[in-house]
Amino acid sequence: MNLQALIDGQPEAIFGIGYMNPTEVGILCMGLLLVLVILGVRVVFAAGIVGLVGLVELIGWHGAASAVGQIPFSKSVSFVLGLLPMFILIGYLAFHAGMTRQLFAAARAWIGWVPGGLAVASVFAAAGFAAVSGASVATAAVFSRVAIPEMLEAGYNKRLAAGVVAAAGTLASLIPPSTILVIYAVIVEESVGALLLAGFLPGIFSAVVYAAIIIVWASLHPEAGPPIRGVTWGERFRSLPGLFPIAAVVVIIVSAVYGGWATPTEAGALGAFVVLVVAWINGMRWPSLRAALMETSKLVVMIFSLIWGVLIFGRFLGFSGLPEAFATWILGFDANPYLILGGILMGYVVLGMFMDAIGLLLLTLPVVYPAVIALNGGPDVSAADSAFGLSGGQCSIWFGIIVVKMAEVCLITPPIGLNCFVVNGVRPDIPLTDVFKGIFLFFIADALTILLLILFPQIITWLPDLMFG
Amino acid sequence: NVDGPSVFWKFSVWGNPRAFTAGIEHMAKRLEEETGGNFKVRVFFGEQISKAKENLDGLKAGAFEAAAFCNFYHPGKNPANMVMTMPFLPIPDFDTAWKVRMGLYEHPILKDEMAAWNAMYYVTTNLPQYEFMGKGEPPLKPEDFSGLRVRAGGGVGEAVEKLGAIRQSMPATEVYTAIQRGTIDAESLPYTYAHASYKIHEVADWFTSNMAPGTSDCPVVISKTAWEALPEQYQQLLEDLKPEIREVYKAAYDEADAENLPMFREALTEVVYTDEQLAAFRELGGQPVWDEWVAANKDQFDAQAVLDLVLSLAKGEES
Amino acid sequence: MAGVGTAGTDPGATGGGGALGAVSGLLGKLEDGLNIFAAVTIFVLMIGTTISIASRIAGYPITGYLDISEQTIAIFAFLGAAYAQRLGAHIRMELIIGSLPGRLRWAIEALATFAGLCLVIVLIRYSWEFFLNAWQIGDSTVDIEFPTWPAKLLVPIAFSIWALRLGIETLGYLRLTVWPSAEPVAVPLQLTPAQEAEREIREAGIERDDDALVHERETAGREGRK
Ligand code: NA
Ligand code: NA
Repeated sequence: MNLQALIDGQPEAIFGIGYMNPTEVGILCMGLLLVLVILGVRVVFAAGIVGLVGLVELIGWHGAASAVGQIPFSKSVSFVLGLLPMFILIGYLAFHAGMTRQLFAAARAWIGWVPGGLAVASVFAAAGFAAVSGASVATAAVFSRVAIPEMLEAGYNKRLAAGVVAAAGTLASLIPPSTILVIYAVIVEESVGALLLAGFLPGIFSAVVYAAIIIVWASLHPEAGPPIRGVTWGERFRSLPGLFPIAAVVVIIVSAVYGGWATPTEAGALGAFVVLVVAWINGMRWPSLRAALMETSKLVVMIFSLIWGVLIFGRFLGFSGLPEAFATWILGFDANPYLILGGILMGYVVLGMFMDAIGLLLLTLPVVYPAVIALNGGPDVSAADSAFGLSGGQCSIWFGIIVVKMAEVCLITPPIGLNCFVVNGVRPDIPLTDVFKGIFLFFIADALTILLLILFPQIITWLPDLMFG
Repeated sequence: NVDGPSVFWKFSVWGNPRAFTAGIEHMAKRLEEETGGNFKVRVFFGEQISKAKENLDGLKAGAFEAAAFCNFYHPGKNPANMVMTMPFLPIPDFDTAWKVRMGLYEHPILKDEMAAWNAMYYVTTNLPQYEFMGKGEPPLKPEDFSGLRVRAGGGVGEAVEKLGAIRQSMPATEVYTAIQRGTIDAESLPYTYAHASYKIHEVADWFTSNMAPGTSDCPVVISKTAWEALPEQYQQLLEDLKPEIREVYKAAYDEADAENLPMFREALTEVVYTDEQLAAFRELGGQPVWDEWVAANKDQFDAQAVLDLVLSLAKGEES
Repeated sequence: MAGVGTAGTDPGATGGGGALGAVSGLLGKLEDGLNIFAAVTIFVLMIGTTISIASRIAGYPITGYLDISEQTIAIFAFLGAAYAQRLGAHIRMELIIGSLPGRLRWAIEALATFAGLCLVIVLIRYSWEFFLNAWQIGDSTVDIEFPTWPAKLLVPIAFSIWALRLGIETLGYLRLTVWPSAEPVAVPLQLTPAQEAEREIREAGIERDDDALVHERETAGREGRK
């Protein structure tokens, strides 16, 4: 380090490389970032500091510090990001709107008769709740409270009961509203509406795969998940009106995004408003509203900080040219593109064991995303000329859903699969080891889902294609 | 052909390479050629090193040496240059537009405006005139604009408001869906290339081709510090490249028109206004908006002088 | 929905323990107030946007609503930063730092917090310059030419309070580095994944099924950290 140069604010003052070899600085700083994050430095600080250091090396102190000083405002104050608090608020208010029990009752009445009926009902009820909740962990928490007692009472296997709830919680991140899909869209500058629409079918598809695997397993082990018998048609139809508020939110968000009568951000606000009204009718009052708003606000500032922190690092990456270099390097492998994609996804499995889904996405995407797009043939490639049979825009959406699904799997894998801790927290009588064992079945289901999403990208791209041509 | 020290510039621009960036890429290529690789300009696309709206801040900070920006991104940063968004200015073609803009950049008010950002004008990307494109019944006469829901910014927006249209704002990326789903009836964008790059023609029914309601300005600017640090021969080289860049832009927009116009004409109804109708447009949406702009800005700078300069440059008079 | 490995204290548990605790408690009141302001802004934005949609559908779009609502994002994007810091809500990976023994861990925490403080100070200085340019030279939104300097000013203001919190937290960790057995003051509590889960559950408004099983939960928490 050249101290005098550093004081004078010259480039190359820190590593002595500077713009002679910017990608080298990029790799160096990438490593430094990894070390700081593993050491436990808060991600916003780690990314911000390393980004600043890298920029100072490349363009000198004044340019670097000024550029960094602009980023919190310029990256946060952007219309689409107004969507985040709305989606988070919908989730918090939904708990108070009492939608969970009605959903579970309806799902139980309609599909409880299949093998493993209550577990299957939990999956579909969670999928329904996902339409008002953007948060996997919270969804797992509510269903631990609602679904597990009933399953245990009906003689279900403890592990199955716990596993299904922990896994079904992850559906909240695919089915809109989804905070993490908004973040992906913002980072890769993809249409938020297209991504939200794209998540819808894969979310349902995941639920169907979960249900299928439960039915198969419960057929082989009838004692583990007996079906529910004797529900009358009258009971079934009486369970439907309780679903109205959720249906309303789904219709608002999907029709606004699909029909274009409101932007996604506006639809988010309107959806939150509807849930607020329902919650109020169902007895929520100021103290709960205040608590929900305070929690929303805390979470919002955390996510915004993470976004601009990582984007400081992203700005440095832009100057360094590392993303292009990485893409070129990836393209240099003379291997099947699916094999390379598989390798990238394995990287996510490893990192995801230890990291939070949002942090994982934010830290990896600035480098990985351009590489995947390049692998497919570039941002403007046509479906016919591409490696994965997807146009540039389709590939961007497709990879988003897959990577979000990957990040969600990390919520149920040891050692720190937070959804499993949540289930164990609500039901301390089910040991954590049992929850993790109960997850195994659903881990298989998720692996299968991801494989199918890769092989049949239409599941992801069909709905957005319908709209965006 | 030009000897000199090794210089490395970073250029900030948004989006992918396209007609709008053709001149910038040409500049970078020619500088490198002429100096035997000693003067390198690396063009960073896609807002990699700065958000488009913050390119002037980036120049002032010294984060990069050159950039493009558009005046309507931040009227507050370049109030005098906003004159180029005035509706129905008599700028019929590429050559007039180039002459007006390059002449305007010489005016001390505009020079000072950029100097506050430590920037100086280099060339204009010479954005073409806007036209309207929309869905539903085409507005065949000025009165038809009344009640039309229109996405139009700056002076063009104010002009159509005077014609009775309802202005709606939304990010450019939302326009496609908004037209498709009928949230708005029409939009105005640089003609033809921007309509095509946002794919609006896929969802529209009609377009106007001779209304020329106004334009905006997206100049290429250079950091004053970086300019002053250049040896004289490099400064001269940059000056010498201006005519080439002009030709590159002319060819790029012509090429876009040659590709897009037949496509538009095949799929959409072309609305061509008569001279009387155009006069009516100007009467309603031209002068009144200019006067309002002059009045709104007269305390800040001599807005009348800036407007007069544009009009005299357009007429072919020397400033 | 906070991240894995975030740590936290209960809201309000900022006081206790000498002058440091007192200052921390005082600052905490300011942080609470700012977070409430941010929360109210989110609420107002939700209502305002609903009204804006309604009036647009009725044929009377509110001119410039987009511009102004975009600028209000600055309020909830930044003002709660110090509040979130106090509650340990900014995410990080806790696997390693959480398993380090006392003094070493506090020293690393102090260093990491101090590094964060340095970054935030740079951000204050240069976001102020960003604001100053917008204020002195000029800057505005696209549509209704609303000035951006008020929103830009929120960054250095919010970050100054964040810097105070980080300074106090650094001192809190330094104190623990010197006296590892002292009662922690002015630092966020370390949460195990199990405690973290418990907080998520509480935030979701759910009660646990059986309070008598605290012991088992703690066992589970230790298992989870292995
Ligand atoms: Na969801
Ligand atoms: Na995990």
